[in-house]
Amino acid sequence: MVPQVLFQNRKPDRITTLAEYQAGGGYSALSQVLTRQDPKGLQTLIDEALLLGRGGAAFPMGRKLATVADDAPHPRYLVCNADEMEPGTFKDRVLIHADPHQLIEGMLLAAYAIGADKGLIFIRPEYEGAARILEREIGLAREAGFLGANILGSGVAFDMVVHRSGGRYICGEATAQLNALEGKRPNPRKPPPYPTEKGLWGMPTVTQNVETLCCLPHIVNNGADWFKSLALTSGAAGTKIYQISGKVNRPGCYELPMGIKLSRIIEEYAGGMPAGSTFKACLPGGASTRFMTKDHYDIEMDIDTLRNAGHRLGTAAIMVFDDKTCLVAATVNLITFFARESCGWCTPCREGLPYILDILQRIENGQGQERHIGMLESMARHLWKAYCAFAPGAASPLESLLTYFGDEVRAHITEKKCPFGGREAT
Amino acid sequence: MPKLTIDNREIEVPAGPQVIAAAEQLGIMIPRFCYHPALGAVGACRVCAVKFEEGPVKGIEMSCMVDARDGMRVSTTDPEAVDFRRQVIEWLMLNHPHDCPVCDEGGHCLLQDMTVSGGHGIRRYEGSKRTHMDQDLGPLVQHEMNRCIQCYRCVRFYREYAGYHDLGVMGIGSRVYFGRMESGTLQSPFSGNLIDICPTGVFTDKPSRFIGRRWDFERRPSICIHCSLGCHVTTSVHLREVVRQEARVNPTINGHFICDRGRYGFDYAGHPDRPRMARLHGRNGAPHEALAAARESLAGVSDRHGAGALAVMGGTRGSLETLLALKHLCRKGGWADPVFWLDGRQTRVMKAVAELYRPETAADPMDLATADMILAIGVDPLNEAPMLAPAMRLAARNGGRIFMAHPGPLSLPFAARHLMGSPGAFDRLLSAGVNLLKGPKGEEGLLETTAATAWPDPGAAVEMLRNLQQSKRPVILVGSDLAGVGTVVLAATLARVAAPRQAKVLNVLPGANAMAAALMDESGQAFTDVLTRMETGDVKALVLAECDPLWDFPDRRRLEAAMRSLETLVVLDCVDTAAARLAHILIPTQTVFESGGVYVNAAGRTQRAGTLFTGGLPIRRTGNGGHPPRLFGRDIPGADIPPAWQALWRMAEPDSRLEPEAVLESICLGQPDLLTQQDSGRFPADRIKPAGESREAEADESAEWETGPDAFRLLLADEIFGVEILSSRSPCLQRMEPEPRLWMSATDARELGFNDGGWVQIQSNGATMAVRLTVSGRMTPGFLSLPRLRGSGWQIFDRRSPVLAKRNISRREKGNE
Repeated sequence: MVPQVLFQNRKPDRITTLAEYQAGGGYSALSQVLTRQDPKGLQTLIDEALLLGRGGAAFPMGRKLATVADDAPHPRYLVCNADEMEPGTFKDRVLIHADPHQLIEGMLLAAYAIGADKGLIFIRPEYEGAARILEREIGLAREAGFLGANILGSGVAFDMVVHRSGGRYICGEATAQLNALEGKRPNPRKPPPYPTEKGLWGMPTVTQNVETLCCLPHIVNNGADWFKSLALTSGAAGTKIYQISGKVNRPGCYELPMGIKLSRIIEEYAGGMPAGSTFKACLPGGASTRFMTKDHYDIEMDIDTLRNAGHRLGTAAIMVFDDKTCLVAATVNLITFFARESCGWCTPCREGLPYILDILQRIENGQGQERHIGMLESMARHLWKAYCAFAPGAASPLESLLTYFGDEVRAHITEKKCPFGGREAT
Repeated sequence: MPKLTIDNREIEVPAGPQVIAAAEQLGIMIPRFCYHPALGAVGACRVCAVKFEEGPVKGIEMSCMVDARDGMRVSTTDPEAVDFRRQVIEWLMLNHPHDCPVCDEGGHCLLQDMTVSGGHGIRRYEGSKRTHMDQDLGPLVQHEMNRCIQCYRCVRFYREYAGYHDLGVMGIGSRVYFGRMESGTLQSPFSGNLIDICPTGVFTDKPSRFIGRRWDFERRPSICIHCSLGCHVTTSVHLREVVRQEARVNPTINGHFICDRGRYGFDYAGHPDRPRMARLHGRNGAPHEALAAARESLAGVSDRHGAGALAVMGGTRGSLETLLALKHLCRKGGWADPVFWLDGRQTRVMKAVAELYRPETAADPMDLATADMILAIGVDPLNEAPMLAPAMRLAARNGGRIFMAHPGPLSLPFAARHLMGSPGAFDRLLSAGVNLLKGPKGEEGLLETTAATAWPDPGAAVEMLRNLQQSKRPVILVGSDLAGVGTVVLAATLARVAAPRQAKVLNVLPGANAMAAALMDESGQAFTDVLTRMETGDVKALVLAECDPLWDFPDRRRLEAAMRSLETLVVLDCVDTAAARLAHILIPTQTVFESGGVYVNAAGRTQRAGTLFTGGLPIRRTGNGGHPPRLFGRDIPGADIPPAWQALWRMAEPDSRLEPEAVLESICLGQPDLLTQQDSGRFPADRIKPAGESREAEADESAEWETGPDAFRLLLADEIFGVEILSSRSPCLQRMEPEPRLWMSATDARELGFNDGGWVQIQSNGATMAVRLTVSGRMTPGFLSLPRLRGSGWQIFDRRSPVLAKRNISRREKGNE
């Protein structure tokens, strides 16, 4: 059994209560920091722990915290991004349901590091259960003195609220989320200024993912070196919650060391492929990452290794496709999602995605033509010149489909039908 | 000063502008849809992509999102950039209906230009198009959402720039929709600008729909004469009829936009009721005939009763040429100088405005946009000079603080502190400002003691004074309706003592050429003085040059009776006014579109409106079998109407053989450059009369506003639509006029037991008027406000801001309808 850190209190049927969390050492990191560490020291610790953002962009958290200037104005905001809408991703929900106080303590620590005055948990509306758990547990934490005007008698003030999203994918984009919180259309913002300088209502704002924040209490309690030692590969740090779905026997959420091999995740933890299925491809980290083929079956699943191989770990939501699945149909499924969820701000995303979808559907339905492949290739390239990272994300599965499975796409065109016998997307 | 190279050409630009703006200075128009100089860059459309070859930025980037920096090497023709832009155009055209042949934008459509020049000629997309339902946005703007390319210019202008919120963007993805929650007239009086800024045909000009293509029109620059700002417009004439106006860029006055009153106010020029023939004692005649008759008739009055029996009034909507010719006529006949103002109060105020006019401290409307503090005294910007409102909104958005001293109500599309109170307190507020700035610097408590008596609400005064003290670029805005001479004097004094701060002052004036009239008025008389002499029988003949006192004189019955008693009433006008209908002799005149003319705006900018077309009756294509026409002549029918100044000249100098240019030279008071000025230079105040020395307020006028506990002071207020005489003739603007409402403070309504929305009856001078009540917290107790709306029957009061006894307002079951 690999070490369980974030899931150490996870129970099969209920949340971890405040008492249970405290009994397991919960909130000790908070009191330790409040009494013995200054915010700068905490920032340094996070930086040394090589904690990278777990929401998909993998930005070093320590570096982000350092961009909040010492003399930045107040109120400063900490936003917890629980708007988990990347297809295939479901770790944040599991984390909140497993151990809500782990997140609350993580937010308290991050808030302390930047001197934030208020925390906002931006949660997707489908997670109503998780939102209610958080609201209730925040209340209990406040009663216990962990939140409020004078936390544990330290004089430090911080409080937090749960904000339910209107429910669109783009609201998960950090700058669009700030607009959404302000009651505006969730169009992404173009830095500069960066949110850490002028974010929510023009004030310094740090946004972090649920899983990232959950790591903080453990880093404070056990140190940066311990956190780095959790990973299997050098340069990586911590554990990672891998969510595996698709053609595997035991889909689910597994906390495993960063850098574990893909083959081990599939075979040891997800129970292997169903009988009669062989591995054809997977999306390593949600819908906006590139397809990985058999060539990468043994790749070490950490951020740098994937990046060096031309891929992205994303949210580590692994979707497995077998040899009987049509990847054109799978891409149609993904692009349908992206075309629907574009915020409509910039042209490549708003118009390009429906156009791509139309062509892909034609190919899947046997109406494809050879010229369509060139059009798709050039449009996938042009999507990179969009306003935010949404369209490049949407281009990733398309571009990798054309790169790795060009023969499969051409087979649709020459046979004038789907070689897999119709649309059976995962 | 960054130096960069764009398409192998070097340019040095001041720090700040984006690459797209720097390229424009080189004459390189990088394609754009979402970028607009007034709305800024947002990077939405992606059609301005260029290649950055060297420098701090590399690769394909949007030229609107990158600031010009030193050492940049930019190519707009790089194949990769061109390819991407072609792709963007193809994307934008996916759902476009390709209905250019029936689209009013066709021919001056940015999307059309970009599609053709961008090289997207062949459609590859085989899918079906997304379609939308359109909305009815009222009489001014036509909506056709299917043409939309989602540049977001409309909502950025409507919401962010202009400050209105009933038009917005809904939905996401390719389904985004720009419109209202439901069909309905757009609430913003700047809605017509949507037509100008929309790069395709989503918002088109409704009144000129299907009339013609841009190349069918005679398009020429003109000046708007519907308020005292003199915004720049481009006017389109088609078959001898003005059909459409657009905003013309002017960085000092109106920026890129104009208001809907200015845009649609032109219909009087082609109105069916416009006088096209002279009228002599009830019969039609030719203009030259009427001129001779008028001359004879006036000479007769002069002979019988002496020159003192003649009076002349000039309108502030007349051109400078007209005003000068009018003066020439009076001098030639030995009559009293023309009067320009309705009552003595206005006469004194305008005299003060003219004497205190200083080019160096006069604020242009767009100076408001960069002001860090605006103190507006007795001005309702939206209704009196609409384009001030967006300029003030820019100031507010840039962090400037705005204070509006006004009894109310005010409806403002920007954040401002409304100092509610009587105009009687204006002078104390300004004096406090003067004392504070003159007083010893840094004196403890000076601000508080000064503020204590400055305004009914000292807290507001403290806030205003503190902002004034800290401001670097304050602008003082003064109305001419509620402000007295003292107010005008003190505002000018305040601007002077605040001079190290680059303080400026702008007086909002009654009429497009009110400044010119004020600068050349030497009579010192008001129309009420003339009226009294008409009633005593001393004045027997009246000449009205492009004005109609019956339109805005508060006591219409009295005036009408006096005018009916005249021996001779001569009216020169281009619209069929009430006075024109009473006139014994009516001489039709040209409109500004035909005659052109010089106008001096409120900021003293001398601007020439050009001649747009020759005039004459509009051509009607009947199609009822009347073709071909049976009569042929060399003249344009109806084109014998003279400009007002020529008519006046011929009345004064019947035997003159001078050419028009020579006439202008002879009446221009020895300053020919005044009338030939083309740009918008400052009016040289010293050329018309010596600039007055700074003066002190003559008397404390604050007592004028006292009414006692049993009476109200009634303010007869401006409205953007339905009050100004020329624009009120536009059918589309008539549909925009609000229902007349009497505004009353909540305190007073409670005391009198009146309800919001209930009908009340006002009695005054033996006449009554029924109107519905609006109870508002934005109204100062003791004051009422009633718009001077056309046709509402408001002209039953003895003076401009009458006292109305509380017992003369009573509840009533319902209105007159």
